[in-house]
This record gives sequence, C-alpha cells and structure tokens, in this order.
Amino acid sequence: MNKLLTSIYKEGILLIRDIEGVVIMFVMPLILVIVVALLQQKAFTGISEDKIPVVIVDFDNDALSSSLIEGIAGSDMFAVTTVQGSDSLMLDNAKRNVADGVFQIGIYIPQNTTNIIKSRAVSMVQQQIPGAIQSNVNDINIQGKIHLFFDPVIKQSFRGIAKSTLMQFASSVETRIIFDAYSKFIDALTNQTSELEFPEKPAIEFSEELVSEFTAGIVPNAVQHNVPAWILFGMFLICIPIAGNIIKERGDGCLARLKTIPVNYLQIMIGKVVVFVGICLIQALLMILVGIFIMPLLGLPQLQVGGNIMALLIVSVASGFAASGFGILIGSMATTHIQASAFGAVSTVIFAAIGGAWIPVIIMPAVMQKISAISPMNWGIHGYYEVFLRSANALEVLPDVSKLMVFATVCITGSLFFRKYGKSL
Amino acid sequence: MNKPVVVDIQNLTKIYAGRHEAAVKNLDLQICEGEFYGLLGPNGAGKTTTISVISSLLKPSNGNIVIHGYNLNDNLNKIKQLIGVVSQEIALYNKMTAFENLYYFGRLYGIDKGYLKKRIDFLLDRLGLLKYKNDKILSFSGGMKRRINLLAGLLHEPSILILDEPVVGVDVHSRNVIREFLKEVNADNTTIIYTSHIMEDAEKLCSRLSILDYGEIVEQGSPHALITKHSDCSSLEEVFLKLTGQNLRD
Ligand SMILES: Nc1ncnc2c1ncn2[C@@H]1O[C@H](COP(=O)(O)OP(=O)(O)OP(=O)(O)O)[C@@H](O)[C@H]1O
Ligand SMILES: [Mg+2]
Repeated sequence: MNKLLTSIYKEGILLIRDIEGVVIMFVMPLILVIVVALLQQKAFTGISEDKIPVVIVDFDNDALSSSLIEGIAGSDMFAVTTVQGSDSLMLDNAKRNVADGVFQIGIYIPQNTTNIIKSRAVSMVQQQIPGAIQSNVNDINIQGKIHLFFDPVIKQSFRGIAKSTLMQFASSVETRIIFDAYSKFIDALTNQTSELEFPEKPAIEFSEELVSEFTAGIVPNAVQHNVPAWILFGMFLICIPIAGNIIKERGDGCLARLKTIPVNYLQIMIGKVVVFVGICLIQALLMILVGIFIMPLLGLPQLQVGGNIMALLIVSVASGFAASGFGILIGSMATTHIQASAFGAVSTVIFAAIGGAWIPVIIMPAVMQKISAISPMNWGIHGYYEVFLRSANALEVLPDVSKLMVFATVCITGSLFFRKYGKSL
Repeated sequence: MNKPVVVDIQNLTKIYAGRHEAAVKNLDLQICEGEFYGLLGPNGAGKTTTISVISSLLKPSNGNIVIHGYNLNDNLNKIKQLIGVVSQEIALYNKMTAFENLYYFGRLYGIDKGYLKKRIDFLLDRLGLLKYKNDKILSFSGGMKRRINLLAGLLHEPSILILDEPVVGVDVHSRNVIREFLKEVNADNTTIIYTSHIMEDAEKLCSRLSILDYGEIVEQGSPHALITKHSDCSSLEEVFLKLTGQNLRD
C-alpha cells in the first residue's frame, strides 16, 4: 500500500511538472467538443427536439389563419411568431427576416383566404342540393393561396416536410368548414340546432418509434452526443502521454532501476493508472461543465446529465481505466516516442470512427453498427448515453462498464507480459 | 581468504538474442564479504553484461548466481534488498528534484519516512549536494547527476553495492569525492563490485580485480599481485595492455 502511494506521489509530481502537456490534453478536447457540437447542430436538428423558427404573416385573420397558427404553434417542430394586419410593409419585413436567417420559414396568408374556403364549401352544398342555401357565390373551383418562403439553407427535403405539414393543417381546416356548411344546411332543413360537433382529434392517429439495435427510443441531440464522444476521445488521446511516460522511463534507465528494487511492477503500473484515471475524470468533469454552462451560451442546447451521478461516475472511471490501460499497453509495446504517438493517434482515431464519436452509431449503416460494438470508445459513449438520456442507474450501465474494465485489464496484463517476455531492458 | 563468499557466480554464460558469440562465457567468480572488487576490460568485454545478470536485470543463458547464500532465481526480492545497483546510465527523473528522486526510490525500498529523510540529507551532505536538494535533476551538471545516481543505489544500506562505471564523464574533483566516498562505504563493510576503464583508480581502490576480455577472465588477483606477477609491467595499466593487446575492440 505504501509503495502504491509512493508511486502515485511520483506520477503526480511528474504530471504537475509537465503542466503544459496536461493543459494541452485538457484544452484540445474542450475546443473540439464545442466546435463539433456547433458544426453538427444543424445535422442533429432533424432528429432532435430543436424548434424551427417560423414567422406567420396573417392578413386573413379568420378561421383558417387562427387554426393554422394554433396548429403550427402546438406542434413541437416550430417556434411561431405571428404578424397580423394588412400592411404590405409587414410582409416585406417578414421576407427580409427570413432572408437574414432570423426565421427559417415564412408563411403568408392573404386576406379573405378563409372566405374563399367558405364560399367553396357553400358552393359544394349548393351544387348538390340546389337552392339549399341562399348565396350568390357559385364557384366550386375557387382557390386561395398561401405563400411560403424559406431560408435558402433549408434543405429540399425539409421544405417538402414543411409544405406537407401546412397542407395537412389547411385541409383539416377546409374539412371542418365544409362540415360546418353541411351541418348548417342540415340545421336549416330540420329546423333545429344539431348537436353535431366536429371531432377534436383525427380518425387516424400515428404512433412512431425509432427502432434500431441501439438503445431503443433514445436519440441524442448535438450536445448530448458530442460531450460523451469527446470525453472518450480526449481520454483515449491521453494514451499518448501515458505511453510517452513509460517509454521515457525505460529510456532513462529508471525502469531498469525499478527492476533492481524489491517492488512489484504492478504497483508501479497501478500508480500510473490511478493518476491518469484521475486526469480522465477531471477531463470528463470539464467537458460536462462545458456542456452545461458554455454550450447554452453558444446557442446550443444545454447538456442534460440525467439523474444518476453514481452511474455517471462509474462510467467515467471505467472509461478512464480503459484509456489508461490502453496507453500503458502502447507504452510497453512501442520502442520510440514516434512509434507511440503515431500508433496512439491512429488507433484513437480508428476507435473514434468505428465507435461512433463522429457519426453517432444510431445513424450508421447496420454493418457498421455491428462493427462499432468492438470499439471501447463505443462502450464508453453508450454508457454516457444511458446515463444522460435515460438516467440509467449503476446496475444498468454495468454491461458497458464491465466491457471497459475487461479491456483495461487485458491491456495491463498485456503490458506486464511485454515487460516480462518482450525485449530486454 | 577467510571471509565468507557473498557473490558466487557459477559458470555464467550470456548469449544475447540474435547474437552468435556469447557476451560472457562460462564465467566463474567468487567475491568475498567486504571486498572492493574490480571488473576491468576493454569495451565490449562483458562487464556490464556480468553486472546486469548479478543485478537481475538480465536473465543468464546458463549458469547460476548465488548471493549471500540465496539463489538469484528463487529469492529475487530478498536479493534485491541486499544489493544496491548503480547503472552506467543516469537513471533519475529529470523533472523531479534530487530529494524527490531519492525519496521515491527510498520509499520503494520500504525505508521509513522519517529515517529516509535524515538519510537523504546525510548522503547529500556527504557528497556536497545538500544545497541542491530541492533543485531539479534537469539543472544539474554531469558530475552532480552521477553523484545523485550513486546515492540512489545506497539509500537502503545494501550489503553489496554494484557499480557500473561510476565516474564516467565527471571532472577530477567529482571523481575524487566519489572515490573517497566509495572507500568509506567499503570501510563500513559494504562489499563493492565495480567496473571501470580508469586503471589508476582500480589500482588504488580494488582489493582484488578481474581482467575480462571477450567475455572471459584473462587474469585475476589483487593489483599488487598482478603487477608482481607480470614483472615486465610497472603499473596495472601496463598489465592490462599486455593481457588485452593493443587492438581496438569496437
Ligand atoms: N542488448 C544487447 N543485445 C545484443 N548484444 C549486446 C547487448 N548488450 C551488449 N551486447 C554485446 O555484448 C558484448 C558485451 O557487452 P557489454 O556491454 O557487457 O560490454 P562492456 O564490457 O560493459 O563494455 P563497455 O566498456 O563498452 O561498457 C558486446 O559485444 C556487446 O556488443
Ligand atoms: Mg559497460
């Protein structure tokens, strides 16, 4: 125990003396997490709950416009701003705002649009039962027009979605007006007020569910994905300084000296692991703080850490162990610093790519989703997803945690093996 | 010689992986308690190899090492506690201070904190380094590093001190301080085994020595006995040149 504390003491001193290296280790992933979250925010918008800003210029000010506004505002896709009146300046203004990107969609409902629908409904009733209603309109093909304008950055596919959503609202309003026209006619016919009510909800309801082999039903946003992704990336990047530490120790002859001292090499290794896991934890904490406090300042959603701090800590410690163990293995295998940095960097990038740090596993092709299951980074990211998105408890993150710990153990055992049977010192 | 044998090298052979020639061939050597034993020889003679095997840094290809009656294969930790090893390289952490380095190694030997601190001060003072106690190794001169390197092998008061070229690359003053210090340590009944290329030192310091060449002992005995035996030589250096020839070895 004393010897373990002693080796923690030494690793701690060495780490503090190399403060520039530590700062780089912390700062780089912090910059990465912010930059990439900002870059990916648009990409994630499609699958996240971020609202799209919409301006509605309402010159109709009647049943159609009010139910359209109500409907659009009620859907969780849009954030609605309404402008009412009849001044054409308002329309120009709204268009300019869309062009400037203040709003992504503009909807212009001209005057009398509701009236056009009403006339058409009346015409329909009249055509079927001539003379049923006293009216001078008689054009069944009369058509109103709603104008849409889009911010050019909006994708074609998304324009289609927006348009069909609006069409759906418009046609439900139209149905309702037609229904009203008929029920008025029936009232007139039977000479009493009918109890007929247009149903609140549509006859057909859709249920949706995201199905994948990934944790069912959880979809991260840009922040919830990028924070874990770059925590893991940052941790695995630490393998380079760890490997450097071991190679330097070997090159200096210090490792040879340690071999002449009656101390179990495992204790020295554990000393390193403890210190580097500590670094990994500090790094995870910094990233999480950035997610909570800095990201919202940049217009990104705030990181939700879920409710289980214990599980969060366990996932972080296990990820740190896996990353440190990996660094120790590289340090024991590589003979030069250049070898270690090259191998460390490349393998970190590969782990990140297949582990879903850049492209979330959930949107990977099925084959890649299978392959990603072998990347320790994926286990870690998945563990964080579980905690952040589902408030998983310690027991529920156990599968990911045990995979990470087994990986760490295999790496450290491998490095002991290398020390024993590898090249002589 | 009635003192007990503390280092018994029996039929030691070391062949490095990928080499045909043995670096050390069938070496037999007994070193007694309290001796100041020199291993001399030209570059590549096998001195470091021999010392590395005794210090358990290298596994022998053949042969047996017994230290204080313990077999090296079976009592590694026991033996590590009995020997102090000072390598040819400066095996110190550059970014740590002299004290931190010594404290670290001392604690790994299991030395009690309070006693260790006192011992570090004592040893640093003895080698004129106390005022640099809290300076990083990084800022030390070659001679100062050598001295700290030496102290790191002595913290646990080993019964046998094994030194590989302890004075290489140091100035005359440092060399003198180290030499005097080693004499003192030896006088305290610590057995010393050391390698050197400086015949003058060896002649002054060693109670006995071996001259190695091509991994084999070509001559051994006290400096005085060797010079007497080779009557045409007036110094150890002449004996050395006579036995190992005048050709360069590497
Ligand atoms: N790690 C190694 N791998 C292969 N051969 C080695 C290794 N270390 C030493 N040798 C070879 O073994 C032989 C003995 O080397 P050793 O280092 O023991 O000599 P030495 O007497 O200490 O020389 P020097 O005075 O130069 O330090 C040399 O031929 C050397 O080239
Ligand atoms: Mg040598």
